[in-house]
Amino acid sequence: MIKSIEKQRNIIDFTLSSLWRRKGKNLALLVVYTLVVFSLGSVMFFTQALKNEAAIILRGAPEIIVQKLVAGRHELIPMASAQTIRAIRGVEAVKDRLWGYYYDPIGRANYTLMVPEGMDLKENEIIVGAGISRVRQVFRGNALLLRTYDGRPISLFIKGILSPESELLSSDLILISATGFRRLFGVSGDDATDLTVTVLNKKEISTIAAKIVDKLPDARAITRDEILRTYDAVFDWRAGIMIAILAGAVLAFLIFAWDKAAGLSGEERREIGILKAIGWETADILQMKFWEGTIVSLSSFFLGVILAYFHIFYASATLFEPVLKGWSILYPEFRLTPFISGYQIAILFFFTVIPYTVATIIPAWRAATIDPDVIMRT
Amino acid sequence: MIELQNIRKVFNEGLSSEYIALHDLTLAIAAHQVTVLKGPSGSGKTTLLSILGCMARPTAGRIVLAGREITSLPERFLTDIRRQTFGFIFQHYNLLKGISVIENVMLPAYPQGEPFSLLKKQAADLLKLFNLTHKAAAKVEWLSGGEAQRTAIARALVNQPEVIIADEPTAHLDTRLSREFMDIMRDFKAQGKTILIASHDPIVHESEVVDRVVQMRDGRIIDAGVI
Amino acid sequence: MRKSDGFLLFIGGGILLLAAIFIQAHFVTRANLPLFQQKAEVVKSLGLTDLCLSTEARYTRHLSQSDWHAAFQSHPLALDHFPIGSIIGPPETLTKPHDQIH
Ligand SMILES: Nc1ncnc2c1ncn2[C@@H]1O[C@H](COP(=O)(O)OP(=O)(O)O)[C@@H](O)[C@H]1O
Ligand SMILES: [Mg+2]
Repeated sequence: MIKSIEKQRNIIDFTLSSLWRRKGKNLALLVVYTLVVFSLGSVMFFTQALKNEAAIILRGAPEIIVQKLVAGRHELIPMASAQTIRAIRGVEAVKDRLWGYYYDPIGRANYTLMVPEGMDLKENEIIVGAGISRVRQVFRGNALLLRTYDGRPISLFIKGILSPESELLSSDLILISATGFRRLFGVSGDDATDLTVTVLNKKEISTIAAKIVDKLPDARAITRDEILRTYDAVFDWRAGIMIAILAGAVLAFLIFAWDKAAGLSGEERREIGILKAIGWETADILQMKFWEGTIVSLSSFFLGVILAYFHIFYASATLFEPVLKGWSILYPEFRLTPFISGYQIAILFFFTVIPYTVATIIPAWRAATIDPDVIMRT
Repeated sequence: MIELQNIRKVFNEGLSSEYIALHDLTLAIAAHQVTVLKGPSGSGKTTLLSILGCMARPTAGRIVLAGREITSLPERFLTDIRRQTFGFIFQHYNLLKGISVIENVMLPAYPQGEPFSLLKKQAADLLKLFNLTHKAAAKVEWLSGGEAQRTAIARALVNQPEVIIADEPTAHLDTRLSREFMDIMRDFKAQGKTILIASHDPIVHESEVVDRVVQMRDGRIIDAGVI
Repeated sequence: MRKSDGFLLFIGGGILLLAAIFIQAHFVTRANLPLFQQKAEVVKSLGLTDLCLSTEARYTRHLSQSDWHAAFQSHPLALDHFPIGSIIGPPETLTKPHDQIH
């Protein structure tokens, strides 16, 4: 037992010496490999954390949202439709929502205006998200100048700033009173942006959604489950952000191609021959190759995972920022909660450490089974 | 010590390039002696040494090592025996480039799983014996010819083998270094080691250290020498 | 020190750090639970439907509310609809006329 441990340590000693001989190449390999693990890990941590966050906090989203469509576009819905929906059995309550977008040419940013329920706001009072406060440098007590639908400037008094903790939800929000909203956008008192429906029996949400669409053929119904599923699938392998993963995979593939395509060099073959000639067994050679693959991939794995963790959860995913910001001026600043699971780490391990180690051992297999006497003739 | 019985070695058997390198050789090698295989190039010396040293298997025939038939042993056991019984000095030394002298010397012992500190001490002692202590950390490609050879000898000794096998050890050495090599062999013999050398260098087979010269030609023994 | 000891130490350190990360993540997540509660409250009280991940287009701001005809494929390299996920910018029609859409 002790002997076999000591033996492995001896073999690791030699492998490290052997790797160190080509330190330039092997360090480059380590760096690139770490980068692959880092990018895969970052994407994984990031998407998983966002998915988990969305799954928890969006559970409070409306059960059903009913939106009117005109020529395939979302349009204002007549308040009268609420009556039609209320008549459906099983519907507990129907409320109208007023919300919309405002493009601010000064900040060159898009805001989301929303009329909150049960919040006491005067016609010229607003509460803004932390992102808007940052972009426009406006704070509690200041006024925000907007333009109404017909071009008149109106000054809105900032009554408060939404808490920065909720930026992932509210960064671009402007909460405004219903009258203020209608005056700003010219929405008549008969219309709402959409309707939210609460259902008595939560098991019947989809049945009732179907009934609503049946009663209102020009409307669509979005259920809470659909919203939750949207966020659960938003970062699946086809999503744009996953290009990062694919790029990583391509990078990894290039490493393999670069390092392994030629198989073993003549020099490496000769070394294996010498080792066999001086008394190493085939199994010892393969163990040496195993360690060679393991040392590179395991080191990269640890470095990559740890760096990815700090990148996503402590450096606010800095490297994804340009991707997330895209063309927007106003972007939320948020720190994700580190939802990580052993499963993720295991997946990462299996896709990085295992293939590399195997790819290191396999080409050595043939070379390791040569007869040791060959070396006597070189 | 080592007995060869009707050893035959055929290369590329069954192919048009089939070549019989050894023709039914029978030879007994005594322990604690210096035996030299002498013969022109291509006479089968290297082939015979590799069979004697359990590096290659004969096509036919039996090898008995210290009373034990070893021809039919599986690779694992054969490697074990080889590692513990034989120390090899190759014609081109076959040191591993890029790693230090002392690591080269320790290499054959790595798979044994000896405690590292012990191993390192053994290797250091050997280097001291061969006046290489100051080169212990040097890379082998920086060594002079004589130093490289002494490193190769030290490596052959690290597992404390009973038998030293050397193939054309003086082929790349000048006269002074060749004599130095034979002096080292004399010390080994005095320590009771069995020594097998293949060489057609007169400095080797005319040396008074040598007990027996076996002459070979075309894969046959033409003179088994006096035992 | 032996090279192998250095390596084993490094790997041991890696394992420890990874374990530390797990423990730390666990505690941070637990400590953040009230925050989640708070955010879920915000969602409920304001009737929100989406995360504010990106405000660049209305279908990225309110992903779940997007039109069926939203211009999701903003670039051939965008394998799916999310422009924030694509590396090259969307055409001008997407970057400019937000104010006209509304
Ligand atoms: N692997 C091999 N395949 C075919 N022929 C070989 C092989 N190894 C050696 N030989 C042949 O066997 C003969 C004996 O070779 P060797 O034992 O190296 O002779 P020596 O060491 O006496 O010069 C040579 O003619 C050589 O060409
Ligand atoms: Mg020869």
